[in-house]
Amino acid sequence: MAGETQAREEAPRRKVTWMHIVTFAFATAISYVLAVVSSLIFPVLGAPGVSALYIAAAIYVPLGIWMGMWGCLAGYISCFFLGLYPSGYSLVQSFVWSWADFIEALVPALIYKGLKAELDFTVKRPRAAKLLLLFVSTGCVLLLLGVVIQVLWGATYGEPFTTAYVALVYIGTALAAAGIILGLIAGNPRTWVAQILSVIGASLFSGIWGAGTLTIFNFPPPLPAELFWPVFVGWVVGDLIVLSVISTALLMALTPVFKRTGLLVRGWWA
Amino acid sequence: MPTILGELAGVEARSKKYMELHVLAKISLPLFISLSLPFAKEPLQAFTLVIASAAACAAAGVPLSALKKYLAVIVSMSAFIVLAFSLFTYIPGRVLFEVTLWRMQAEKGVFEWKIAVTDTGLRYSAAFILRIFAMILSATLLLASVTDRDLVWGLLSLRMPFGVCVAVSLFFRGIFLFVSDFHTIREAMIARGVDFERTSLAKRFMLYANALIPLLSLMITRSYEVSLSLESRGITPGSRSASGYRLYRMGLSDYAVVAAGVGLMLTFAAWGWLA
Repeated sequence: MAGETQAREEAPRRKVTWMHIVTFAFATAISYVLAVVSSLIFPVLGAPGVSALYIAAAIYVPLGIWMGMWGCLAGYISCFFLGLYPSGYSLVQSFVWSWADFIEALVPALIYKGLKAELDFTVKRPRAAKLLLLFVSTGCVLLLLGVVIQVLWGATYGEPFTTAYVALVYIGTALAAAGIILGLIAGNPRTWVAQILSVIGASLFSGIWGAGTLTIFNFPPPLPAELFWPVFVGWVVGDLIVLSVISTALLMALTPVFKRTGLLVRGWWA
Repeated sequence: MPTILGELAGVEARSKKYMELHVLAKISLPLFISLSLPFAKEPLQAFTLVIASAAACAAAGVPLSALKKYLAVIVSMSAFIVLAFSLFTYIPGRVLFEVTLWRMQAEKGVFEWKIAVTDTGLRYSAAFILRIFAMILSATLLLASVTDRDLVWGLLSLRMPFGVCVAVSLFFRGIFLFVSDFHTIREAMIARGVDFERTSLAKRFMLYANALIPLLSLMITRSYEVSLSLESRGITPGSRSASGYRLYRMGLSDYAVVAAGVGLMLTFAAWGWLA
């Protein structure tokens, strides 16, 4: 116990350096450029700023895992400016809406820290690593569709919507479970489980806030409340694809670089 | 110094007087317009707000042709709003047009999906669409009149740490650095035989995804160089501007603009309350 306390006392206090600030500023700039590009190339029609393949998320979500709060801020600021141009939301609407991307980077950071998962993306079985996120994403999309069908029609009209809901939920859950099992054998089990939970959690929570602030709660919401489900489904599906394909690839490729350059933060800021 | 929208889309406020205003005044006017938006619930209120926003843009010398840059946004949102009030939900009112698309006998009744245009639905749509114009005009007014130098000076005058000021400045510079980096990477891919025009959307998505790895590697290298140069000058992220090297204070015209913004918001709040 005494040794532990002494070691804690001797450990140098980590401080925020220029490297953190400059990397954050540049990452925000890249995220903004990619956000604009993806909302123009792959738009969710009728919901400006929402993209069916929001590539910017592939930058700030891994950044949240590597650099904690800096990644969350990069997501927030890039989304805030995306809201102003080219989406055309007002200052207040954009201020409220942009927390969606803050949440999107915060959720994975919280999951990794909560599970104390090491950033060890060494792959023992490459095929399992390739398949696991495909399984998880497809499973989650089917689950989501099932829930939407049940909420919109199943609860009111019963059959045949209930059967469709049950079938989608069973198939979706089976695929997601298969994906998680593949995750356990792909490499470091804790890391991969954290990654799977991050992909699902980030897409879902940011989708709730993002689609919610566009349609239900904002000052005022730019779109009618009736459009919540189309925007939400577009948002979550797009994020699931981007986070599982690109952000995982970036985490695998660039984690060693971040470790080497000392950019990896242990706490939230340094 | 070009404004943010000037750099992104070539649209700038032309009024010299407006451009000389304090950054807080330039931010507060669009802010109060956007705070008035929640009170504009009826088409007439929303239309009045559009006129007020357009007048503010005209006074600042922002060309209203800037709306062309948002054409896709306006068209897609308007279409989606009309669809929401006619296809995704039924708004009670006098029915102007109705057609059933799908009818099915379900367990607990008849499921019907129809297009129903009612007078109330049209009124809601008009209010939403007009609010989009006000919303876009307020965003244009803000971005076409604020420069990144305004923001940095504003932050320095608030005695914010250099870390914050440098980050803001680097963000704006970074946008153009990485647009050019992205073009370089894209050209390198084309030189190696990638044909972006003929590839499918799915393959193009993967190509752009692959371009992110060199883009991020370049970002780290550049961050390293910039942070080393900042450190070598002896500036720490937490240090602050020590003196009033450049006085940046609000004047009478700034207070007048802020008062006009507050007045606009209070007028709409009162109108919304009384309506």
